[in-house]
This record gives sequence, C-alpha cells and structure tokens, in this order.
Amino acid sequence: MNIRKLAWKNLLRRKSRAVFTGLGIFLGIATFVAISSITSQMEGAVQDQLDRFGANIVVSPRAEQFSLGFGNIALGGTEVAHSRLTMADRERIASIHHKDRIRSIVPFLITAADASGKNLVWMGLPAADVAGARPWWKIQGGAGLKPGEVLLGAEAAALLDRGAGGTVTAGKRLFRVAGVLQPTGEKEDGMVIADIADVQALAKKPGGVTYFEVAALCKDCPVEEIVAQIGQALPGARVSAIRQVVESRKAAVDHLRRLGFGVSAIVLLIGGLMVLVTVMGGVQERTREIGVLRAVGFRKRSIFSLLFWETGWVSLLSSLLGAGTGVAVAYLASPVFGIEHPSIVFSPAIFGAFAGLSLGLIGAIPPARRAAALSPTEAIRSL
Amino acid sequence: MEPIIHLKDVSMAYGCNGTRATALAGISFDIEQGEYVVITGESGAGKSTLLTILGGLQVPTEGAVRIGGADLSALPADGLADFRRGTIGFVFQAYHLLPYLTARENVMVPMSPERVSPREKEERANDLLASVGLAGKEDRLPSQLSGGESQRVAIARALVHDPSVLLADEPTGNLDSATGEQILDLFSEWHGRGKTVLMVTHNKANLSRATRSIRLRDGQVEEDRLLPSFSAVPAAV
Repeated sequence: MNIRKLAWKNLLRRKSRAVFTGLGIFLGIATFVAISSITSQMEGAVQDQLDRFGANIVVSPRAEQFSLGFGNIALGGTEVAHSRLTMADRERIASIHHKDRIRSIVPFLITAADASGKNLVWMGLPAADVAGARPWWKIQGGAGLKPGEVLLGAEAAALLDRGAGGTVTAGKRLFRVAGVLQPTGEKEDGMVIADIADVQALAKKPGGVTYFEVAALCKDCPVEEIVAQIGQALPGARVSAIRQVVESRKAAVDHLRRLGFGVSAIVLLIGGLMVLVTVMGGVQERTREIGVLRAVGFRKRSIFSLLFWETGWVSLLSSLLGAGTGVAVAYLASPVFGIEHPSIVFSPAIFGAFAGLSLGLIGAIPPARRAAALSPTEAIRSL
Repeated sequence: MEPIIHLKDVSMAYGCNGTRATALAGISFDIEQGEYVVITGESGAGKSTLLTILGGLQVPTEGAVRIGGADLSALPADGLADFRRGTIGFVFQAYHLLPYLTARENVMVPMSPERVSPREKEERANDLLASVGLAGKEDRLPSQLSGGESQRVAIARALVHDPSVLLADEPTGNLDSATGEQILDLFSEWHGRGKTVLMVTHNKANLSRATRSIRLRDGQVEEDRLLPSFSAVPAAV
C-alpha cells in the first residue's frame, strides 16, 4: 500500500465521481484533438482550394525605369526591357525543381490594336486556359473562348456596341464575339480578350509573351522557393509573388486555425473547471477520511499527494481516451468537412494527452491544497 | 524519570460568533510510562478534547503539553504528524476504517507515505492482524467484518508503528459486552508490554482493567485516583 495505490483504490470506490471528473477532461481533449486534427487537415485542403483559385506568381521581363529630365523639368520616363519572354519560356518554368507544385502556367500578351475602328487593348491568353486563369469571370451569352473568337470587357462591349454573336474586325481579320464579361472593376472591362495566337498575329509578335501567370500550390513549400527557382530558370525575367494573394490566403488559413484554437481553449477551460469543482466537492465529502489519515500520521504533503494522484489517474486515463476518441472522430468526420483524403494526425493527439493531464493536475492543485490545509481539528470533529 | 505525558495548566476554549466555550480549564497531570488510564466524565466534560490534545490533533489555547519528551506546542504541523505516526496510536469508537480497503490494506494505511517495500508492509500488517485474532480475514472489506472485528482492525492499524501511547475514544461503545471484553483484552495485552494506554469511556466496567482513573467535570479534573492494579493479563487473546 502506498499513496498511488490508495488513490487508485479510492477512485475505484467512487467510480461515478471519477467518471464525472474525467468526463470534463475527456470531452475537452476529444474536442481539442478532433478540432485540431480537422483544422490541420482543412488548412491543407483550404490552401489547395485557394491555390486553385487563380495565380500567385507573375513572371515578366526584367525592365529598368529611366527618368528623363532637364534641370528641374521632368519629362517623364520610359521602361526599357532587357529581355523578352516567349512561349518557349513556359517549358523552362515547367522544368523547375518544384515543378510538381505548379498547377498552371498561363502566358499573356497585351497589346494595343484596332478593334472595329477603335483603338483598344487586346489581351491574349490560351483560349483553353480562360476558365482556369480567370475563374471569377462571368461571361454573358457564351460558354467559352475559341481561336477566332473574342470576349469583350463590359466597357469595350459598350464602346463597340457589340454583344454575343456579333463580330469585331481587326485589320483584315474578323472575330466573332463569343461573349461579354460582366463588369469586374478591373482593366479587362475595357479590353478585348482573344486567344494568344490570334493576338500574337495581330501584334506581329509570333511567340511573344508579355508575362506569365503561374499558379503554384504552396501548401507544403513557401512561395518564395518557387519564385527563386523560376528566377534561376529565367535569369532575364523578373519573378514576383503576388503578395496580396499569398497573404490573403495565409490570413484565411490563419483565421481557420485561430477559430479551432479558440473553440478548443474554451472547451478545455470548461473541462478544467469541471475538475476543479468536482475535486473540490470531493474534498468536502471526504473531511472524515482526511481526518483519519491525519490522525494516523499523514503529513500535509501526503494528503496533497493523495488528491493529486487521484486526479492524476483520472486525468491520464481520460486524456488518453479523449485523444484516441478525438483522432477517431476527426478521421471519421473528415469527409463532412471536405477533406478528400483524411489522414491520422498524431501531433494534436500527443499534445492533447499532455494538455489534458496537465489541465487535470493544475485543476487539482487548489482542492488538494485545501485538503492538505484542512486542520486536523476540523477534520477530526467529523469523526 | 520524566513522565511520558505531562500536562501543565492546559486550557482549551472555542470561540464562535463572539461567544466563547471553555472545554478544558487549566488541567494538570502527569502520566508515567506503562500506566493504563481511564478518563471518565459526563458529556461535555472535555474528555474528547483532552484526547485530541494528547494526540497532537489540537494545540491547547493555554498551557504546556509534553509527550515522550516532545513539546507539542512547539512542533510545526509536519512535526505533529510525525509525532502522531511515531508515538501515538488512535482507536475511535466508530472504527473509522476506510470502507474501500481490505482489513490488511487498512492496517497498512499509516505506512502508505513510507518508503518501505510492499512485501514488508504486508507482512507487518498480517502479523498485526494475526495478533488481534484476525488471521485469515486479511482480505475482507470492513463491510464483511463484524463490529468487534472492525475494531480489532482499527487497533491493529493503531499499533502499526508500535506507539508508546495508545489513545482510545470509547473503543467498546459500539460493541456488545462480550465483544467489548475481547477488545479490552487486547488493550490489556498491549498494556502488559509496558505501553501506556489512555481510554476515554462512559463504561464503568472498563475501569476494571485500568491502573488509574481521571474524572473530568466542566473541563477540570474532578478526581484523579489510582486503581487496584490489574495484573491478570490474558495469556491468549
């Protein structure tokens, strides 16, 4: 017989109380582990989904800005490109070390050209990539873009007075209007969008590319690494991450993580309070027993250890059970949260088990101290 | 030779909501090693308070208490706990066994905080249970024992550290007379080994075993007298 065994025996005697004490920790840890596991997997899923929604890296020719002036008189400036991008650069980008993290590389050619007698900006991109590159575009009157067709921005359509099914002339070529974009508030509202090959022909720049938009899946690797690798593949190009996009995606995932931690913290707090209240109530009920133990020579420290061990046993068992349940719940509930390939995440379970044990023991300190401080006189009066 | 128990002007008062009740009012006496003292008195005379002071469970509001050479009023809380464990054995009227432990485990409870091997603790408990006539009943729970058997377990628990002084509060109060006699035989046997016994009782029959009687009244010693020595310690218990 020792303090640990005495504590264990007492737990077995008061099973319902032990179960109730452990229930708080069990529910808290199970919730924490389940939420953390699901959140952790959702972070990846959300990141993947966000990464699929447009590009996050832009590759453009390296250029220098020259300012022109005479004395204090500014005469504006001009940008001089050191190199030009071509369609062949697409293959170089696609050959970087993290090529498996690149979802799409879309070349764009921007040029000014005649459109039915109006000088408008033409945007060329592979007709097949329109839906992937600009998933937020809503096209009125058409299903998509094909070579020989154009999409008109809302303002361009109004300017040309054309709608879906109409035609636009450019030089000697005739383009069918495949559809009109709903206003986006961006520059493309005033543009004519066509297949890049058509725009290259129109601009007399065969193979020419103004910039590439690269969509990289950045769940497991920082976007900076991909940017650096593309920079090495295209030394003459300027490669930059679209910070706003990257940061907004990170913020979305961070919000999700914070929500998970917030809910878990509240549940754990409630669990800790349950331990505190239950063990405190137990001390009240066990004044007589504590009196007997004090009478037979238990020191304060021994009484404290007894209460501490009791809660320790309950916390340990309920934490392990809660962690296991949390993992199982997270695995089974993953499909509900849109996680296509659920996996078992051990780190929240390990952390949860430790947290539960710690929480239980911390929650037991005030009642254990109170029991230890119970004067023998007070305890013995109940004998 | 210094008496094993020395009380000098011991008073105990309880205060509650401005009122003050005196349980003991200036008690003084000495008890020598090997005495068997019965403390009697009406309810409220201060018997139980005296017993808790002698057991180091309470510190008197006034006066000095020395037991086995230790000044109880000078001991810190842990010192008092060590004193109780090493010097005092308590036996209560209602046994106060822990209901979820077997007879053997109850006897082992005072040894729980000690770094002694489980086997050693178990052997000690078995020996003590055998000495109080409970061999073969070591694994029974208190609910499976009679009142007399429960009190024997409580006595074995009190003796586990071989105390110098055994304090008993109405140890036969819940027992029939035949069973009570068996319990008194155990006290006599213990006393026969040269140990000191202090027993609080209402039962005048218990006086027959004692060497001295102290009667309390209103917190004071009303009578303190030696009794005819009881020498016939039972050969077998």
